[in-house]
Amino acid sequence: MSRSWVEAILAAGVVPASYVPDASVGRTDLEEFTGADPVEDPELRVHSLAGASPLAPAAVGFLDGIEQWRVVGYAGVTPIVRAYVAAAIRLRGADRRPRTIAGDADELAITRLDRLPDTVRAALEGSGVRVVEISAEDAGQPARALPAARAAVQGARAALERRLAERRLSSLGSDHWLVVDGVLSDSPALSVHPRALGVVKSHGAEYFAGPELERALTLPAAHRTSVFRPKRRGARREIYSWYLRLWLVSERAPLATPDRRWDRLLYPIHDVETYLRARAPRDLIPYPASRLPRTGS
Amino acid sequence: MIDRRDPPPIGRVVATEQKPATPHQFHFWTANETSIGIGAIVRVEQPGNGNGETGKVVYGVVTDGFAYSDLATPLHDVVGAEGDPARVAEHPTVRQEIRLWTAAVLRQKPEEPLQPVPLGEVHVASDVDVAQALRMDAYLSGAHPTAIPVGLYTSGGLEAPVYLDADFLLGPEAAHLNISGVSGLATKTSAVEFLLGAIFQHFPIHKGRIAAVCFNVKGPDLCFLDQPGALDDEDRRRYERLAVRAQPFERVRYYAPFKADGVNLNTLRTHPELVGDVEPLVWGLREVLDFAEVLLNRDDIDAKADAFIDFLSDRVVDKEFDDGFGRTHRVVTFADLERLFRSIFDGLELAARGDTWRTHHIATIRKVRNRLSNISTRCKGLVTDDGPSNDLPWGRFEDRAMYVVDVANVDPLGQDLVFARAVSKLREHLERRDLGVDAVVVFVDELNKYAPGDGPETYVKKMLLDISERGRYLGLVLFGAEQFRSQVHRRVVGNAGTTVFGRMDSDELATPGYQVLSPATKIKLATLPIGELMVRHPHFTQPIFVRFPRPAVLRGRDGVERFPPAADLPFEDAVVRQLVKLDRRVRPNLVKDLIADRREEDVRRALAHTRQARPQDALAYFKKQLGGRVAAAPALHRESVPPLNPISDEPY
Repeated sequence: MSRSWVEAILAAGVVPASYVPDASVGRTDLEEFTGADPVEDPELRVHSLAGASPLAPAAVGFLDGIEQWRVVGYAGVTPIVRAYVAAAIRLRGADRRPRTIAGDADELAITRLDRLPDTVRAALEGSGVRVVEISAEDAGQPARALPAARAAVQGARAALERRLAERRLSSLGSDHWLVVDGVLSDSPALSVHPRALGVVKSHGAEYFAGPELERALTLPAAHRTSVFRPKRRGARREIYSWYLRLWLVSERAPLATPDRRWDRLLYPIHDVETYLRARAPRDLIPYPASRLPRTGS
Repeated sequence: MIDRRDPPPIGRVVATEQKPATPHQFHFWTANETSIGIGAIVRVEQPGNGNGETGKVVYGVVTDGFAYSDLATPLHDVVGAEGDPARVAEHPTVRQEIRLWTAAVLRQKPEEPLQPVPLGEVHVASDVDVAQALRMDAYLSGAHPTAIPVGLYTSGGLEAPVYLDADFLLGPEAAHLNISGVSGLATKTSAVEFLLGAIFQHFPIHKGRIAAVCFNVKGPDLCFLDQPGALDDEDRRRYERLAVRAQPFERVRYYAPFKADGVNLNTLRTHPELVGDVEPLVWGLREVLDFAEVLLNRDDIDAKADAFIDFLSDRVVDKEFDDGFGRTHRVVTFADLERLFRSIFDGLELAARGDTWRTHHIATIRKVRNRLSNISTRCKGLVTDDGPSNDLPWGRFEDRAMYVVDVANVDPLGQDLVFARAVSKLREHLERRDLGVDAVVVFVDELNKYAPGDGPETYVKKMLLDISERGRYLGLVLFGAEQFRSQVHRRVVGNAGTTVFGRMDSDELATPGYQVLSPATKIKLATLPIGELMVRHPHFTQPIFVRFPRPAVLRGRDGVERFPPAADLPFEDAVVRQLVKLDRRVRPNLVKDLIADRREEDVRRALAHTRQARPQDALAYFKKQLGGRVAAAPALHRESVPPLNPISDEPY
């Protein structure tokens, strides 16, 4: 998708804007407390992984997605957001080098159509870009509209990742694994697949409190917690989860530097993000070496 | 000859603010596993504008390479491996790496307007691309092609012939070739041998006739150019690709002076099967006197000596000359000249006419006499005291013939003399257009010795400078070789239109003359394998690496093994051999009987005259030149004459 739809709505009278949210450079995870039911032990315990034989799959696919967006204009006080979401799977084989085997990208316009002047609306609808609408309540207040737009972008990105992952599962070899950046529970197919693995690298969603939380967050190296069943996010589907210190021990290196989340980001996931960012539209992220100060509007 | 296959894309031009593309340089990346290396020629294509018009095409040569990963700092790798380098191999994922290359622009098409290199696809150059990139298309085809193959450009499994332009290698547009590199590994001599072979086979007919004169200054290097050498299949394939026949030189003429005995040749090509081809190089007084400046150009150069030599040359040699003391001389040989000197010294002493003769001071006369007698002593065998000379075939040079002058074992002073005289004669004849050929390549090894950047201004150095600066107008082309280019006179190397480098010494590469080369190119030069060269030529905007096959001639070292030099023959046998060479009917025993009890200098003189005359009946002519045997007169009995007065018996 070209930028022509943006030019069309600007020509139709939209006030141009150039706000690029921080989130466009990388995702942040939702913070929520969900709770969990014990599965393996009656309460959360610590298990050593000493002596566990490591997996040695023939190939591992790593899936990740990115989202980028910016406010390209305002019709009155209603923002019009241009968003780009993309996801890709990079397969690491015997040569230890990841190669892209699947990828998809989408461009969206996020706004509230009925708040737009007719000319702008016509220009937007006539451009062919997929329009995602935010609620009428959110659209009236820019302070609410932008978080709503952000949620819409995240949703679009998650949907894209899910589609790509499910497509991949159908062709996953018997000795192949799929590692997904994030939770599996959003997809029934992923949730039940024996060789799909979700890596949650932040504790945005907390399943325990008190001593159990402390136990989970202070695991010794090469130890895991008991298996548990997260409540809310996995409520519709049976998924098991556990905390692991130095999970995927052999994946600790190489470090995912220079990413600022290098301490918890798997290098192959970082690699997928690098790949996707390299292919993303350049106008959605500020040029890193720009000498001009960033503006808020 | 030209392969027109289209090679696949191998990279893409990238440009950043830090590393932009310019009209003269660009950067591109390739896959990690790539055949591209330093020296590779690439083609960049700018996509067309969709209206059927093709975009700009840029040709470049890779001058530097970079590899790096996404590591922000090496410390991250250490941390990731927990300080153990061996653990890096256990990492399940290999870091992203890049192969980034820097290329210098060889040519842009269209050439105007000159713009930065487009950020397009990069392809490995094909044969056609190499021809375009090096601007060889201008002289590869057309009504009068002037291409001389110099080697194969090879990269990524592709190889393409590289040609030099004869107009720029052999004149008149530019001329001369200089080749440098370390001894033994740079294969300088082999490269010149191959190139001369290619010139002889590809020198365009419309440019006329060409010959080469090579001075063999060390060992047996150039002594077996007419003998086939060992080639392997790869060599033969390269010859075929370059359209050069893998064969030794068809016409090689060898010249070597005699040893001090005046009959055995002073060369390593004395094996009985080969020595018959070697012509003796013998010079007399006239040949030496014309180049006496060579002998006087060191510490004792002065105008007085010079004037006296000119006097001898103009007024005395080959003329009837009255010495002023009542004697008439005809000075033709060193021996005649010595008689004149004796006469002058005796005359001055007896006549008590002071110390000046014909305005020349006696000290000057003595000095010149010493220098001239010195050359005939130090270069005995090359310079004959008495008898005729035997020289290169001035005026009768053959087309595509190689004339090898073997002075490897000659005194350095004699080498200077040979070089100075041979080059001067070449120049004279080329100026008069009566040499027999239109162009002559003169190959001189060891330019560090003959044309050093510092040191005294020798006659030989002046001659080399003269060839370098003016030779191309005459067709006199210098192919010079040396180990350290930085230590050769700047005007000698600077006037070489074509420059070739074999493996170079690192210290040499650190000198200012190599600053234009990238560090990677220098590293490649310092590690060049045998048979690979870097070539600079007026049509090439950047140096190009080429590989050439081994010359199809017997290497000097192998030649000495296959044709071991014969031991020196006794005087009589050596004389027999030379007469037999002139006339196969000559019977050795007759010759031996003829020269028994004869003075060696008389035999040598007669032999020289016979060699010069080349008569039908060599023995009869030789016998005539030798003259009749003069019987030794018995000592006269001297009658004792009694004293007029008897000797007194008185004991005191």
